[in-house]
Amino acid sequence: MRENRLLAFLLVTLTAFAQADHSWILDQSTLTYHMSHPLHEVDGVSHAAKGKGVCHAGQCDFLLAVPVKSFDSGDSNRDLHMLQATRGAEFPIVTVRFRLPEAALAAATLDCDLEVQFAGNTAHYSHVVFRQVIQGTEHHITGTVPSTVSDFKIDPPSFFTVPIKNEIPVRVDMTWHLS
Amino acid sequence: MTSSRRFAAMVSKVFLGTMGFTVLFATSPPLAAQLLSGESTVKVDSATLPDAPIPTDAVLAANDLSSPAADFSSNPDQQAGQGNPPVAGAQEPHQNPAPPSLEDLGMTPEQTKADPDTQARLDRHTRMLKIHQRLGLITLAPLAAACISSAAAPPDPRKGKENTVGREIHTGLGSLSVVMYGLTASYAIRAPRVGNAPARGGIKVHKYLIYIHAPGMILTPILGAMAYSQASNGEKVHGIASAHTAVAWTTVASYSAAVVAVSWPIHLKF
Repeated sequence: MRENRLLAFLLVTLTAFAQADHSWILDQSTLTYHMSHPLHEVDGVSHAAKGKGVCHAGQCDFLLAVPVKSFDSGDSNRDLHMLQATRGAEFPIVTVRFRLPEAALAAATLDCDLEVQFAGNTAHYSHVVFRQVIQGTEHHITGTVPSTVSDFKIDPPSFFTVPIKNEIPVRVDMTWHLS
Repeated sequence: MTSSRRFAAMVSKVFLGTMGFTVLFATSPPLAAQLLSGESTVKVDSATLPDAPIPTDAVLAANDLSSPAADFSSNPDQQAGQGNPPVAGAQEPHQNPAPPSLEDLGMTPEQTKADPDTQARLDRHTRMLKIHQRLGLITLAPLAAACISSAAAPPDPRKGKENTVGREIHTGLGSLSVVMYGLTASYAIRAPRVGNAPARGGIKVHKYLIYIHAPGMILTPILGAMAYSQASNGEKVHGIASAHTAVAWTTVASYSAAVVAVSWPIHLKF
């Protein structure tokens, strides 16, 4: 009789677990944009990103948001100019949205289709591959988003009449955990 | 109790227990909140309930939406260039939890709202500083020419007469440098301030050097005028006027350093 009760309990627990929603929370992050010019190589770093993922019925929707003004290149004048060029006062938040199957969240690589909103425009990046290392409950994810200035219709700043390079890749280093 | 009766009792208990736990755990928090708030009265109308659960992919396909994020619409002000149609998935059966929004991340309206006034200040700030940069670079030309022409400025005792031509050229170039410098500085002074953050990086050094080249650009022409007067009277330049050369070179050096500092770090890469 005790075994039957145990079996019944396991059956209903599995049923309940299969239908439960899960949430993912971004613990910490480092986002780094890289800007190139014949006379300058600049990296701007932000640790202010916030993120959340909601899983339901085998699909997970993620949202990552970071304030534009949180990026620090080490020069306040350059950061102010970056804020102006990217219209950071009008569109203060960069958002990244993507969807993944829940079953794929345990893989060593994540193939993501990203929707990025920045400077008042939206760009889509397909098959962006991120590497994942799982340590206990923490998922450490790294990768690079191949963004460009023209994707977001930004007027490229220039120095000595020479504009910056179109490519502004963003390196991503994030740690998520299941809440 | 016979074995068949025991088996039937066990099956009925399992069935009842499963039904009970399924009802409890299948209800998502949003649905529970809606049920409690009474907002679901319209959504649970039997005439609008689908006969079977509608898969999310089918809904997306029916609405011809390729982007999974088209469901997201947290801040309409940020969607200026997007123009995505409203998503029928937003009115999906209430079992699907809403995708995360900026509010879910803890972003306050102050962080997410657009600020066109600040953007306008930023635009003007950048426009004026670009003019300041161009004028500052152009000013290097008369400054360098004044430095070169300074060799011909002092009177030449070997010739027995004053070489006024060299002095006039040097005076003209120096005066032009002072006027260009003043014009350059005016654009930086009048550019609107944005934010109260302290200066960091090369711009900090650029600002500190002002305390050297600004007084120098005032003193240099004054001392130069005194030296000009003494030389015109046939006197040897003496007294404080003799410091004109040292002050001028210090001014030019700090001005050049200020130009380099705001451009730092420089990586030559072609």
